[in-house]
Amino acid sequence: MPLMKSIQRVLAFCITLILWAYFLFGYLVLLPVLYIPVYIIAKNSAAALQNINHVHLKCFFALTRFLIRRTKFEIPKEVREIHSSVVVCNHISYLDPILLISLFPRQVTIVKSTFFKVPIFGWFLRNAGYIPSAPNEMMGAAMINNLESIKEHLAAGGVLFVFPEGTRSRDGNLSPFNKGVFSIARYCNAPIKLIFIQDTNKLFKPGFFIFNALDSNTIKLELIGTLEPDYKSNNFSISAVAEQARKLFEKKL
Amino acid sequence: MTRQEIEREIKNIFQREFEIENPGMDDDLRETYEFDSIDAIELLLEIEKLLGSELTQEEKKQAMDIRTINQICDYIERIIQIRKSSAEK
Repeated sequence: MPLMKSIQRVLAFCITLILWAYFLFGYLVLLPVLYIPVYIIAKNSAAALQNINHVHLKCFFALTRFLIRRTKFEIPKEVREIHSSVVVCNHISYLDPILLISLFPRQVTIVKSTFFKVPIFGWFLRNAGYIPSAPNEMMGAAMINNLESIKEHLAAGGVLFVFPEGTRSRDGNLSPFNKGVFSIARYCNAPIKLIFIQDTNKLFKPGFFIFNALDSNTIKLELIGTLEPDYKSNNFSISAVAEQARKLFEKKL
Repeated sequence: MTRQEIEREIKNIFQREFEIENPGMDDDLRETYEFDSIDAIELLLEIEKLLGSELTQEEKKQAMDIRTINQICDYIERIIQIRKSSAEK
């Protein structure tokens, strides 16, 4: 039995290496090579980059499904077909944002501002239209420019996905919600779709490097609500919308 | 809308939306109340509601550098004035 366990661990380690190798190869080689011709041809270079990233991560999850047979994915059509909306999700694993990118061809999100300083990756984030989280980089006219570009992105059928907890939950419980995403939805006059993510943290646990290829697991994404507040109403309150969203997530825990 | 009415409305917005009670008219909102850019966006949307009309992108950009309640009131007065003069033309 210990020999069997050791073999399984070596297998999990090899699978992890293959997956990360593909992931990095995509960003360091495939994306730049594909991006240059697309950049020349495409009218909207940010949209083209989002699309290439989407295809790359779609392949990453196809490879994950192929290599880790014990993990299944249940992602209903109503989630895959979301567009022109602000998507609010709980956050339990590093896999969450890349899983969402693999689902939506046109997507932007709010990214920790430190990532914008990483060579190549930072360039990629800026050119794909992603938004830095730090208030210092969102001050003044830049903030309005960012919001106007999100508005255009949503009008063109894209999604903005955000984790209002700000960081991954270590224990599965909900952390306090940042109300910023709801203000952005109001600014853009966009509907808010609430997606509950389940069990990505079993495949890739916070604090671990290796994919869990041994345990049976089903990763589920569920649309638990759609909020379409009357943003122009005199009774409209951001706090009330944030609270309503939070309650729907709490019901799922 | 008089200056006093504007001040009262802005203080109401601060109390209702940002849970800031009786802010000083010249307090630096960022330093004193950690008022960030997302709060500024929320304030802009409330100002639109107060004015009953949408702000232009340029007007929104001008508002992003405001730091005190007095400056907010000046800003609203200026917008009302601009709206009034263009309506008269």
